[in-house]
Amino acid sequence: MSSFSEFGSLVKKRHKPKDKPTDTKVALGFLAPWLIGALFLSLIPMVDSLVISFTKYNMIKPPQFVGLMNYRHMLADPRFINSLTVTLIYVVISVPLQLVAALALAVLLDRGMRGLAFYRSAFYLPSMLGGSVAVAVLWKMVFGSDGLFNALLGLLGIDTSMSWIANPDTANWTLIALHVWQFGSPMVIFLAGLRQIPRELYEAASVDGAGKWRQFRSITLPMLSPIIFFNLVMSVINSFQTFTQAYVVSGGTGGPSDSTLFYTLYLYQQGFASLRMGYASALAWIMVLIVAALTGINFALSKFWVHYDD
Amino acid sequence: MNRVWKKVMAAGLATVTLCSAAACGSSVGASDVPVVPADGDVTIRLNWWGGDARIKATEQAVKGFEAEHPNIHVDMEYSDWTGYWDKLAVQSAGGNAPDVMQMDELYLAFYGSMGSLLDLNKASQYLDLSTMDASLKSMGQVEGEQVAAPATTAQYGVIVNNDVLDSLGLTLPDTDQWTWNDFEKFAQQVTERSAGQYIGSIAPNNGYGLQLWARQHGESLFKGNAITISPKTLASFLQLPADWAKNGIEGNAERWSENTAASLNDTDFGKGKQAMMITQATMITPYAEAAGTQNMTVVPMPQVTPGAKTMYLKPGMYWAISSGSQHPAEAAMLIDYLINNKQAGAVLGTERGIPASNDIRKMLAGSASGTDKSALNFVDDIQPTIGKAPAITPNGASELDKTIVRYQQDVVFGKRKPLEAAKSMIAELQESIDFAS
Repeated sequence: MSSFSEFGSLVKKRHKPKDKPTDTKVALGFLAPWLIGALFLSLIPMVDSLVISFTKYNMIKPPQFVGLMNYRHMLADPRFINSLTVTLIYVVISVPLQLVAALALAVLLDRGMRGLAFYRSAFYLPSMLGGSVAVAVLWKMVFGSDGLFNALLGLLGIDTSMSWIANPDTANWTLIALHVWQFGSPMVIFLAGLRQIPRELYEAASVDGAGKWRQFRSITLPMLSPIIFFNLVMSVINSFQTFTQAYVVSGGTGGPSDSTLFYTLYLYQQGFASLRMGYASALAWIMVLIVAALTGINFALSKFWVHYDD
Repeated sequence: MNRVWKKVMAAGLATVTLCSAAACGSSVGASDVPVVPADGDVTIRLNWWGGDARIKATEQAVKGFEAEHPNIHVDMEYSDWTGYWDKLAVQSAGGNAPDVMQMDELYLAFYGSMGSLLDLNKASQYLDLSTMDASLKSMGQVEGEQVAAPATTAQYGVIVNNDVLDSLGLTLPDTDQWTWNDFEKFAQQVTERSAGQYIGSIAPNNGYGLQLWARQHGESLFKGNAITISPKTLASFLQLPADWAKNGIEGNAERWSENTAASLNDTDFGKGKQAMMITQATMITPYAEAAGTQNMTVVPMPQVTPGAKTMYLKPGMYWAISSGSQHPAEAAMLIDYLINNKQAGAVLGTERGIPASNDIRKMLAGSASGTDKSALNFVDDIQPTIGKAPAITPNGASELDKTIVRYQQDVVFGKRKPLEAAKSMIAELQESIDFAS
């Protein structure tokens, strides 16, 4: 956490009593666009949704206070439990796979091969496109019964007309594959992190006779651990909120057989299709708590494996 | 914070702003605007869901209306099915619903019982609903008010791709008297003879199909706010896709699942790879276009007891007026034009279904050709089997179609036994209905 305390001392140093009070006003002025957005588009609606979560509200009739009913309803709602399971499976499998892929490619690209800029952009491209509707539509076709994926399997001699999207046992895996494919942004961050590792460490290690794998384990991984940690936290939060891909691939249903019913998708269905805004708001708040808990666990575990260089 | 969050929060913010402006719920009560035409120029809004063909036809019909009423301008908005209902809910919450909206039977009870829709009897001076059958008109009523005007009817039948049958050397059995057993046997032959290159059919998977299934078994789907179909009958319906996957009628389970999720052009029937499709008769025209053939006909549904009066005039789509409309008289005139005007009838054709007005339907049947003609004549073909109108889908059951598909998938992929699925589905739907009312 040293980088945080460094930042703190930096702030303290700059904030001298000599500073004119008008500085604060100027700062606030420059911050205004963001502050107004944060206040009116995030904070007030958040408080509002908390209030709505204690009501029965269908958007047309005025909200009606029902106490904890919405929260209690979750315990008896099998689709809620299912959406949680589906999402957790997705997060637990896709996040590590994506980070491993990102790290592996970052290490490869870090060797300073020719045309690095091109490869970096090429690998980053899916991250730009992955969350888009167009790619989700494409995905639906790739994994359909007469899609590209089956054609590929056909070339390998595996003849199948299986629809990977339409089978509840495989549908979630196609979305996991889509998530892993978007390894671009963690990869770019890893690349930047790799550049920060002093070359002397590797030189010293190779003088001592350490092989490539040993160097990777004993130098690269520990030195990179704060970056890995950052990527992990962001990735868990983002993947827990996955929506667009599942919405498009399943046509908004979370099907087949609720196998891609992600938490956010169920929340959206309850709010905007079943018009249970109170319940949807309660679901949203439980999601905040779950994501906060996952992040908390990540931070708690980080002290066992994240090394800050000081 | 990502996009979903923002969406959810934006909805929350909208309500806070609304409520703080003491406008919360203002859209609930009907506006006190008298139903008389305004003196000056008037702009009204018209919303619908649908594809390109509908956009073209509706725009042309509206142009005709504007020419007839030079002081009325119509703003048109359209979206796809899912987006339409999301938007309408938010617009209604904001007291900003369109003057005239296309409505569906699944959502009618919700908007009707919320007081969001104008009682069209108040506008009867400008809107003539006597051109349609009384039983059809009655399906636009909620709690005793005529909250919507049926624009079209939708008759379920079996659309047959004769090209497929011809290429396999198969002839349809007597479809006026056929049972589900006859249908299944015949459909199975298609898959078998073509070695899976063509499939026979796919099992029905929506509320309309289920309603007819219930009626064929001497039951009904709803009565008021109660679900009246028996678990046993529902179980047999949920089991259909599984049975038809097993005996090859629909290929296999995934092929069925894929077909139910695909858009029309990507379905097996749309690609000309399926012999028969149980759906609305008027769908024959878009399917024929997609499959690139004119050699399609529509025949009656198979029945449990041949000849029983289980069919009914189901409104395909409705027109409704927002109770908050500032120009209810002009809105009523527009609906009257779209339903009863001959010129509009000719332009709109059967794109939204069989016209509700008997005059327009007869007019179209006289001049129609090809697949359109068989769809228009189909209403007369099934006349002997038309019975009493059923209760409309209650408030809280708007997600009926998606719920059916979900439970059918559970059965088809072996996640639930049919009877267990049926009981669970009834409990889930009933909870949703009770919650909404």
